[in-house]
This record gives sequence, C-alpha cells and structure tokens, in this order.
Amino acid sequence: MRWLRTDFLQKPLDFPSEEMVFESLAYFGGEPVLPYDNRKTNFPYITKEDVMQMLISIQHEPNNVINEFAEKYRKYVGANYAIPTASGTSSLHLALVGAGVKPGDEVIIPNFTFIATAQAVVAAKAIPVFTDIDPDSYCMDVSQVEALITDQTKAIMPVHVHGLPADLPALQQICDKYELKLVEDASHAHSASIHEQICGSIGDAAGQSLMADKNFPVGGEGGMAFFKKEEDYHRALAFLEDSGIDYSMSWIAAAFGVSQLERLAYYDAVRARNAKLLSDALEKTELFSPPYVPDGFNHSYNMYRIKLNPAKKGLDDLEDYKVKEAIQQLIMEEGVFAREWQNRPIPGHLPFQNKKGFGNQYPFCLSDTDRKYQIEDYPNTLAMFRNTLTICRELRSPIEYERIQSYALAFQKIDQNPDKIRKVAEELDAIQPPYERDARLG
Amino acid sequence: MDKNMRFQISFVLSRVLNSGIIMSIEKNEKEIKGLENAIAKITKLPYVSTFNSYTGALHGALQGNDIGHGDFVTLSNTTDQEEKFIDWLGITNQYAMEQDTFERFSVNWENIGSFEEDLQQPSTLVLDFTELGFGPCALMATEDNRMWEKAERLKIFGAFDLRTMWTQEESHPDLQPGIQFNYRISPLVAACAKLSLLKRGEMVENRFFAKTT
Repeated sequence: MRWLRTDFLQKPLDFPSEEMVFESLAYFGGEPVLPYDNRKTNFPYITKEDVMQMLISIQHEPNNVINEFAEKYRKYVGANYAIPTASGTSSLHLALVGAGVKPGDEVIIPNFTFIATAQAVVAAKAIPVFTDIDPDSYCMDVSQVEALITDQTKAIMPVHVHGLPADLPALQQICDKYELKLVEDASHAHSASIHEQICGSIGDAAGQSLMADKNFPVGGEGGMAFFKKEEDYHRALAFLEDSGIDYSMSWIAAAFGVSQLERLAYYDAVRARNAKLLSDALEKTELFSPPYVPDGFNHSYNMYRIKLNPAKKGLDDLEDYKVKEAIQQLIMEEGVFAREWQNRPIPGHLPFQNKKGFGNQYPFCLSDTDRKYQIEDYPNTLAMFRNTLTICRELRSPIEYERIQSYALAFQKIDQNPDKIRKVAEELDAIQPPYERDARLG
Repeated sequence: MDKNMRFQISFVLSRVLNSGIIMSIEKNEKEIKGLENAIAKITKLPYVSTFNSYTGALHGALQGNDIGHGDFVTLSNTTDQEEKFIDWLGITNQYAMEQDTFERFSVNWENIGSFEEDLQQPSTLVLDFTELGFGPCALMATEDNRMWEKAERLKIFGAFDLRTMWTQEESHPDLQPGIQFNYRISPLVAACAKLSLLKRGEMVENRFFAKTT
C-alpha cells in the first residue's frame, strides 16, 4: 500500500489548552499552538460515494452525465437555466455574453477580485471599468457605480468576494434605472444567499467556479453559468456555436459534482460553525476583527479576511503594513497559514496596464476613452491590503473542532503580545507596501 | 460511446482513482507535469503546455507564434470549429500557402500506440486528446522555448503566474500577458491522459508481438 497516496490524517490533534494563549510565541522559540507535524488540511475528501458515482456515470453517455449534474445544481441554486463549463472564468464569459455584452461595451466590476473577473470581461471583448470597494464588506462600493455609467455601459458585475454577497438589491435598483444587466460573479459564493435567495439566481446571469479549492468542488476544474431569462441562455448557447470555442466540462468533473453536491450542505454547515467559532474568539481580542456580514446576508466563507487594529494596541506609530507583516510572521509560526490573497488592485496587473488584449490592443482599442488603470484610484482597497490578513482553508470541512479552536487560540496568543509585534515590525528589513510588489494572483 | 472505448476508459479511470490521486491542485502538479513530460518524450518536442480544450491549445499555438487579433495564419484542411474559432479570435486564415504554421493531430484509442509515426516532424504541434473520452484535453508541444513561454502566458495560472504567486517577482518582464483564459486542465483528466499514454507501451508491445509471431 506504500504506493497509495492517502488523504487520511496521520495523527490526531490534541485538544488545545487555553493556557497556550499565555505561552511564549513560537517565533521566539516557544511551542507553537499547532505542532509542525500536524498542520495538514485536506479538501475535498474523496469517498466511496465519489468512486461509486464514477462507476455509475461511466455507464452513461458523457453528455448525459454532464447534463444530470448541471440540472441538479441548477435546481439547488434556484436558477432558471444553466450551462456547465470548463472553469469559472469561462462561465463568467458566457454569463456576460448571454446577458448581451457585445464588443466595445463597458462592464463595471470591482477592482478587488481574482483577475478572472476582469479577463472574462475582456474575453467578451468588452472594457472593464473598475470601482473601489466598500471598506467594510470588501465588495463593490455601490456608491461609486452611477458616476461610472456611460452610454457604452452594458452590465454591472459585482463579485461576492470571499463568499459575502455583494449588495445586489442596491445594484439592481441602479440596473433598473439605467437599463443595465446585473451579472453575478459568484465564484466564491456557493450556497451564499441574500434573504435566503441563493447567489447565482439573483441577477440576470451569473458565473461560478467549481474548482478544487472552492466550497463546492467538482473533479479538479469546472464552472457553471446561470441565466434568468431564456433569451439570455439561448444567446450564450448561440455564442458557443458561433465562436467554436470549447468551454465544455469534463464528464469526470461532472460525475464528482453529482456526488459532492450531496455533501454540500454538510460542508456549508461545518464551515459556518467554524467561522462562528473563530469570529466569536476574534471579537474577544483588541487586535483582530472578524468579517462584517450585513443582516439577512449569508456569508459562505470561501475565505476569511481578518482586519487588524494596530491602534488598539498602541502600534499606530508604526507603518500598518509592517505591523501586518509582523503579525503574519508570528501567526504562521504558530501554525496558521494567514496570507495576503491578492496584493494589488486588478487594474494594476500587467494585462490592464498594457491593454494588449487579444493582440493589437483589441478590444481596448474599441473604446473612445483612454482609460488610465491606476491603483491610486482605489484607496479603500490599498488600505485593505495594508491592514488585513486572509485565511483560506482553515474553515473548511472536515476541519475538526480541535483544529479551529487552535486557530482561535493562536490569534488570541498574538493579541497578548503587542510588544513582540512591535519588535518584529521594527526589525523588518525595508519592505514595501503589498501593492508595490509584483502582482500575485492568489 | 463505443464498447471497446468504454473498457479502455474504465481501465484507466480505475487505475487513476485507485492510485490515491485527488483533486487538489498543489498535490497534483505531478500529473499535469507527467503528461507534459510523456508528450515531450514521445514527440521529441521538449516544451509542452497543457490545455483544457482543443481550442485552448490551438489558441496557445497561435499566441506562441505571435498571431493575434488582426493577424494571419496558414492552416489547411481546417474543420468548421477551427474556422469559427480562428475567426472569433479576429485572425484570418490564408489557405494554400506553402506550409501550415503548425501541425494539428487528434489522438484516439486507435492511434495512441503509434501516433508519432503519423506526424510530419513538426516544430510545433497541437495534440487533441479529447477523443480518448475523459473530457476536453489538449496540448501544444514545440521545440522553441520562447513559443512555449508565450503560450503559457495565455493561461491564468500558467507557469509564470504560478511562479509569481510564490516568489512575488515577475520573472519575465519582457514577456507580459494580454488576454488570459483559464485553460487549466483538471489534474484528474490529465492523470487519465497520462496513464493512457503509459498504457500505450503495452499496445506497442502487443503490436510488435503480433508482427513477430
């Protein structure tokens, strides 16, 4: 059996003691909250149901397997129409095309997202127009949208970033006023909802990633485009036929989707439980604030962004990004993989600085406006990069109670040591703010 | 689906599922790399890039040749899908020129044991594995490292994006990306294609055995 790569965790985690909070920091030689040999997390688990589903699916035509999965997931989301795709990026492209976005149109999107949101707009041969983010939700700042609308604007595509639904009710009002399409980027937001309506079914169209690291994973890579109106769905299908582009999902991915969908409610429940435990613990600290969630909104916590409050610990005389860097180093040594997840506004990434597009500047050359994509135009996002840290995998099923409790204790332990944070921050070499370094994708 | 094909797919899939390969990207880099290495060995084209569709690999080969919107390509005997896709990219096909810009070839269960013998010694090749039945899967292989680099730049999470993710340093500032698509192949599909290529060794042996007995 040595040839078999196992998912099984090799060692149980001891139940953590609250006394750990008062022990020496691991960075300075103390015992880490999570031992070095017990930091592994696995997701998703492949169970016998997945293997059985594969054996069943292989008896059917590939298209039937893909259609079965698409239909089951469409019903779960509550969308009227769905097209399974090879990736989240291709689903966003299809959603935009289905919504009627044509070459030279403008699509308003937030500057803080994964680059695929903006590249999907370019793939639709349209021009991305970026807003700043709301400093609390980190989603699109709705108050900026109307000022960006021009005669070329065709759609608004908010991102439910990290799994928190964007303010779709407010955006829908703007869309109604200016006759624009509302397209959701629901790539982080599986099972997330607003007043119990699931993301993906609320706007005119939506795209969603189903890749392996998402809350709802299929067999490695995949996506789904959703549509409210039949005409938009048919427009997307016609595009696939006319363009020749192959965006089709692998039946292997779809087969996994069928069995993993059965477990999505369980994954969601574990993630919500873990998020609540961690948020309750962070509320007891001065240094850390948990994610903000408006009333009636259900956050799916694909990622969990923690805000740092250096002033509450008397650290506001230091550069905030240095305090963040110091905290990151300290918490990593305790065994919690906290990271930046993006470091630069998307307009500052090379494809938008250069505007090469498909070649020879197309489709950017279709615009009458010479847009300057400058990161200084997004101060809320820059501030967020300086004073937040993100944990990506630490909430997901099957993270055990002992493990999430250990994460909470690790943050509480850092909160106890402002002097140590100061010491590390002051000893940092000359580092730049995150957005002055080369852009990283994730 | 053909019965013989179903047997081949079941065989490969069972082997992949029982090897403990799971879906995580980081843990399965070996599968995608393994597929690329296998193709490099078979085609003798050292630089290989994987894609999650045939049109993706076609796009990669065009990009590798610096052919984009408003440019021209020479490809003979194109299918309806190829014509549509090239047209959608804004590229014009010049038929009946001296030589195709690059060669395209489809691998299936009939020719998997010896497909390299049917190639015209290309310097750049687009190989389609979709007919094997695991889902869309294709590669671009080339003898030119610079072409490979340009094709990889087309991919979100291509080789250069992944490098920047870890180092936060742009390794190729002279080769900056334009439009990018998520052409990343599922590691599971890549693992199936890779195992199919390994199994071809048995087919080659059987063919040899049939000839000598």
